[in-house]
This record gives sequence, C-alpha cells and structure tokens, in this order.
Amino acid sequence: MDLDPSAVTRWLEPLAREPGEITDVFVERRRETVLTLRDGEVVGSQVASTEALSARWQRGGQQQLAAVSRADEAGLRDALRELRAALGRAPLPIRTGKRVEGEDPPPSVERWRKRLAALLARQAPRHRMRWRLLELTRDVFPARGAHVTHTRRLVSLEGSFTAASRRGDETRAFSFHGPESDTLSDELKAWLIRAGEPREAAVPCPEGETDAVLAGGSAAVLFHEILSHPLEAGAASPLSGLADARVAVPELDVRDDADRLDLFGGYECDDEGVRPRPVKLLDAGRLAGRLTTRSTAARMGREGSNGHGRRAEAADAPLPRGSNTVVAAGSVTREEMARRLGNGIWIEDFDAGSVELASGSFLLRFPRARRIRRGRLSDELGPGLLAGEILQTLRGVESGLGRESHPYRALGWCSRGGQVVAVQGAAPDVLIRGLAVRVQT
Amino acid sequence: MTGITIPELLEARAPGAWELYRKEGASREIVRSGADRCESVRREAGLAARWWDPASRFAAAGSEEDLARVLPEAAEAAASPGEVPQWPSGAARIPEGGAALDPPPDLFEELARLVSAESRGEAALRHLSVRRGRSVERVVNAGGLDVAWASEALTGFAEAVGRRGARACEARALFRWEVQPDLPGLARRLSDRATLPLCGRASPVDRGEWLLDVSVAAALLAALAPLFAGDGHPPWAARGTLLPPEISIVDDATPDAPYDGEGTRSRRVVLVSGGALRARLHDLASARRAGTASTGHGVRRSYRTPPARAARRIFFETERPVPPRELLASVRRGLFASALTAPLFCDLENDRYEAQFTGVAVTAGRAQGPVAAARVRGRLSELLRRVAALCPDPGFFPMPDPVGGATLLVERVSFD
Repeated sequence: MDLDPSAVTRWLEPLAREPGEITDVFVERRRETVLTLRDGEVVGSQVASTEALSARWQRGGQQQLAAVSRADEAGLRDALRELRAALGRAPLPIRTGKRVEGEDPPPSVERWRKRLAALLARQAPRHRMRWRLLELTRDVFPARGAHVTHTRRLVSLEGSFTAASRRGDETRAFSFHGPESDTLSDELKAWLIRAGEPREAAVPCPEGETDAVLAGGSAAVLFHEILSHPLEAGAASPLSGLADARVAVPELDVRDDADRLDLFGGYECDDEGVRPRPVKLLDAGRLAGRLTTRSTAARMGREGSNGHGRRAEAADAPLPRGSNTVVAAGSVTREEMARRLGNGIWIEDFDAGSVELASGSFLLRFPRARRIRRGRLSDELGPGLLAGEILQTLRGVESGLGRESHPYRALGWCSRGGQVVAVQGAAPDVLIRGLAVRVQT
Repeated sequence: MTGITIPELLEARAPGAWELYRKEGASREIVRSGADRCESVRREAGLAARWWDPASRFAAAGSEEDLARVLPEAAEAAASPGEVPQWPSGAARIPEGGAALDPPPDLFEELARLVSAESRGEAALRHLSVRRGRSVERVVNAGGLDVAWASEALTGFAEAVGRRGARACEARALFRWEVQPDLPGLARRLSDRATLPLCGRASPVDRGEWLLDVSVAAALLAALAPLFAGDGHPPWAARGTLLPPEISIVDDATPDAPYDGEGTRSRRVVLVSGGALRARLHDLASARRAGTASTGHGVRRSYRTPPARAARRIFFETERPVPPRELLASVRRGLFASALTAPLFCDLENDRYEAQFTGVAVTAGRAQGPVAAARVRGRLSELLRRVAALCPDPGFFPMPDPVGGATLLVERVSFD
C-alpha cells in the first residue's frame, strides 16, 4: 500500500465540510490467474494484474465519481483533480508521485495446478474447464474515519466434463466457487463426485403447478433472488411497505451475512470502509432489515450503514447489494422432507436466476431435477424453469426445514445493472408449495 | 525496467511469436434515477501481451512496469505447446489525441416525457445511464505489425416501470447510438415492454404469422451469432437451406474500427447468402487451426482478457426489403412481438429455440389488441427457413457487440 492515509484524508477533508457530504477514495488491486484445462492438460495460462482508484463525493442523491487505472499518488491526484473540477472546488497542485512496487502473492497457483490435475484425472478425466484465482485487495480512505483494507482470494472452476451415465456419455456443465482455504479442494472433490454421479435418462419436466423441495443448499439461490434483491435499500418491490409484516412461516430465518468469510460473497469491510453486520432479512417469518450503504442508511434515517455498499470495480459507485444469503437450519431429515413433499419435484441445482422487482416475479433455471412420487425419488427430469411471485412463494414455504445448512458453491456471481459482485449462500432443504414449472425446450 | 522495452522482453521469451496490445480509454457518464444523479469521469490505460513459448501465454497489466513483472508469472505454469498464429503485418498512423471528451447529453427528462406519452401515463422512466466513451488501441506483433486506431461510442441503459392498478412490470433496454440519440424509438420499446404485459390477455391465435420488432430480431440474430464463430457447424445448419435465398447475414465492422483486437483489418464477411452458409468468422488462432486467414474477428472486450473469436457487427441484408408497414399489412393472422419478456433461449447444437414475448395480435394487417405474453418454440432450422420477408433497420443494439435490428416476418408459427 503506497498511499499515505493521512495525506489522503488531508486532501479529502475540504470536499466533505458540509454535514451529509460523503467523500472517499477507493483503491482496488486485482490479480487474476486463469488456467485453461482440457482433458488433464493445461492448454493456456493467463495472469492479469491491474489496479485502479476512484475518488467519490456524495450528498443525498447527488454523486460525482472520478476513476483512473492506477493506484499510486499520481493516480490519486488525477482522480481528486477531476473530482474537484467537477465540484467547482480549487484544484490540487500537479505533481507526479512515485510508484511503489506491490508485494508478490504467495505461490499457490502451482499447488492448485497439481491438485486439479489429480482431481480431474480421477473424477472427470474428459473436461474443458477454466480455473481462476482472483486476488482482490481493496483499500478505502474515507474523509472522516479510519483507512481500512482487506484482501480476498477467490477460486472458481467452471466448464464442462463428460460423465458416464446409463444412457451413454453425456456432457455436463460444472460450476464451483469458494474463497481459497485449506479445505476448499476437498469440497471441490465432493462437488465433482456428486456432479459425475451416474444418472438415468431424463424425461421432460412436467409443466404446471407443483410442490418442490430445493435441496443441497440450492434454496440459497431462491432467497437471494426473492429476499436479498428486494431488500436492497431503495429497491421498490412487493416487499416495500411491508416492514415487520409476517410473510412466511415462523421457522424461516434468512439473513445476509457478509461475515461468513468461508463463503464466496464474504468480506471484512464493504467498499465504503464499513464493517458489515449480519442483516436479518426475515426474522421468524417477518420482514426485518434492509441492506444499506452509507447514503441510503442516512436517507432512511438509520444511524449508519450495515456494510453492504459494494462496487464491482473501482470505476463503479457503491450500490446496496447482498453478499451471502444464509437460511437457518431446522430439524427435518432428508427422508422426512421427501415424505412431506409426497408428489412433486426435488431440485439440487440452479444454473441461473432472475427477479423482476416491480412485479415481484422470479425465474430460476434448473438443469435437471428428480420427480418424487409418494415420498420416493422417481424419474430423472430434464431442464426446466421454476417461476413464481415473491409473496406467494414465501407464503408457500412449509414449516419444517432441513436439519443441515449446505453452502451452495455453484452460486458465485450476481449481476445488477451490469455491476457484477461475488455472492453465495447456504441453506437447508426447503419445501415450497405451489410453484410453477415450465419445461425448457 | 532499465531501458528494455516490452517488445524486447517478449522477443527474448518467444522469438517471432508474440503480440502486444495497448489501450487508452476515457469515458464520461451520467446516471439518473429520478432525482438522484451520478456523474462519472473514467480514464483507463492497459497493456496485454500474448506469446507462445511454445505454450500459449497471456499477461495484462495497467503499466509497462507491471506488465514486465507479471510476464514471468504467466510463463510459470507448465502447459502444453500451442500453435503460433500467422501474424498479420502492416502499419497505420497513430491517431492524434482528440479534443476533450464532452459529457454525454442528459436526456432523462425528455425520455421520461416520451415514455409517459407513449404509454398514456402508464409507464414511468426509472433509470437512465448514458455514457460517451473514446479509446485509442494499438497492436504490435513479432511480424512487424504496428497499427493504431481510435473509436468513440454513445451507449447506455434505460429502465421503466409500467403500472396498472396493483400490477406492475419492468422494462429494460440497452442502446447504442451512432449518430443522433433515437429517443422516440427507445421510448416506444420501453413503453411496450412495460405496459403490454399488464393487459393480462392471452394470445387469441395459436398459429399464424410472427412479426418481430427490430429489437426482438436483433436478439435472435445475437443468439445465432455463435453459429458463425465455431470450429464446426451443427448438422442442421450445415445441411441444405438455412434461410430463404434472398436473405443474407453479414458481418462488417468497418464502420466501427479499421482493425480487430489482433490488428487484422476489418472486412465485410457474407456469412449466409443464397440460403446457405458461406463463411465462418476467424480470429488468428482459429484461422491457424483451419489453415486459412483471419477474417478480423478477434474481439477484445477488455485489455484484461485475451481476444476471442466473435461476431463484431452482424446484421441481416436482403435484396428485396419490405417496409415495416407493408410487412404489418401482409399479416393475415398472427402476432407482433414487440419485446422479449425473458432471455431468448437458443440451443444451437440441438436445433432448438424458445422465445417469450409480449406484443399485439394482428388480423388482416390491423392491430387487434395487446397480448400480455406468448411463447414460440421449436426448431431453429424451421424458424429460419420460414422467414418470409424483412426490413433491415439502421439501428444497432449492444449485445454486447453491435447487432443489427430488422423487422422480420416469419410464416407458419405456433404460439403457446
């Protein structure tokens, strides 16, 4: 870190004299390593090391941002000069700063390459995968308050592989995201084994209204769409104006927890320099908190942000965004869940999801599912779309949640208005009545 | 670095097998959401190197010093040898630095008024971002190429919400303007998408003609584009007639930039003509594999990622364009698809597609009333063969590379 926090504060202070003025400098250093893997061989390697810095001023709904693609003193001066010019304030004197070389990251790429070679050779020898290690270091210098810094190392493995099934070889998509840790490769192995399990030939998904169990943590995707997005401060949705209303069974507790650093969406401080607090989105079935930034919290009359101001990159202004959607576990076993479902579908994977906030309708795409007949696993089903409306779906959640909460590692990135941030979630098995299913051609 | 340039470093690592790309860009953006307003100024500079040692390597950084530092890291991982492309050569003058970048126009109030008028007060503009961007790109390679070019674009994103009673619907639209902002066209797209689904009416026809608005046809063409940028064609596309003989599909990025992201000169490539596939798009790597020359379709979406083979500015052409009014008049019984209500699903491998849209029922060339939602699905090959007529539109849509719109008439379609 080559910026002097006291100098940054000194330069920022004149821009935040009035009460309600928010000014900060945000610095991001990003190193991305990508290995392209094909059938056990690395066929390409990429390294991108970039840095960027932005200076921001905000008062109420008015905001100015200046971003440059360097993170040294000269870059800071450039950004502040642009910002001051836009605000009609006196310019900073021009002086070129000295660039200080950053530290090199620990050499984990080679370790991963060896692990992947062994894992893929055993679990999925025929594959086309892309492994990525994204190392993000972010610094925030607020005009008032202390400078904060944090680093995340995020690992993704995405692509497809050929799996043997009872109807012959088939190509299956694969997606796995997690923060780098000692145990992540064990989790990756378990996901690969599960993804490669033999399957029966799929029959088309039955269309119409159905009951469904979202298992294996996949319910996190649903609650990310129908609770996390609508409860971003400023979002207008069917949940607006329903503060404290009971919308689901009392057993249902859902929170947004950026403190869960074991999940892909976690962080130690948000992109405005605020330490995140777990936010109860649904507390015993009642609507509870909202995800806020510093400015949205001020406008809502709250004391401070709960640490959900997130930026995709330094060039973007922070927006209130979710992080990890975590659903509290209940006490129902998997077998009991299937028995309670009776007839319906059992879904363990979603590969896409979206919500339209104005109408409250959502759409989740699943690549496969299982039919449940009289409480027992039956036919393998092909791809389909799960559709519904937020309030109706929350009301359809049955009491009695699964007794284990599973991280859902296939969920990794969320895009809103073109800004992509890391997200994830963990959830137990959840039974929902009255969802609409449509077959995907 | 001590006097050694990046090209010298690359030549030492991979003699005759390297390429260096530089980009400097600046943009100004105005984002409006009601009374909220954010103005941004962004400046970006970066370099990217590719080389074969003999494995394929890529490194990118924001400055020469940083790039020199990451080059050895990118070369560390043991990797299989790759095929070195056939480098293009040539030189082009580096453009002079242009005038200061003007801020984009603030069009929120005017567009809000047009959306309201177009929807008779049922839809309101909620968000508008307009960005003016300019960039200078330069590619040098081991074959002696040194070309540079500049480009500028006005792009953006708009969102509107339609309300009728307790029901609401969102509309989102991406736009890219090359000459003047087309606000009436954008307002109509937003208004239709935000209000037509609120009518609650199902399609009164289950089979007939399908008239596609320019934005819907652009989405269809964008979904088809990967067909022309693959190493092989799926059997359904390779066999027989793909489109009626008078309709062509062309990619020509010369109006946008004289070179692609690998320094190959942009050119016009006729992909489909006389009803059959005529050509494929190639970047340097795919051209090497196919034993042919690049068509200038190595696309860089950012300096941080390697160039990839893709369509750059694809559009429909026809020898006999039919004006949109005549296309509408020729519909005996069918639906006009005004906007998609879900992303178009296209499975190019298995010849399947599915489109969900909102629009208007048409009988004897006259609009009969709105249709909230309808679905068309089936074989792509059938859909394309049944295109009866079209009228290309001068507008292009960012998907994310420009895709040309056209009003498209398809015969004998079944609606859900």
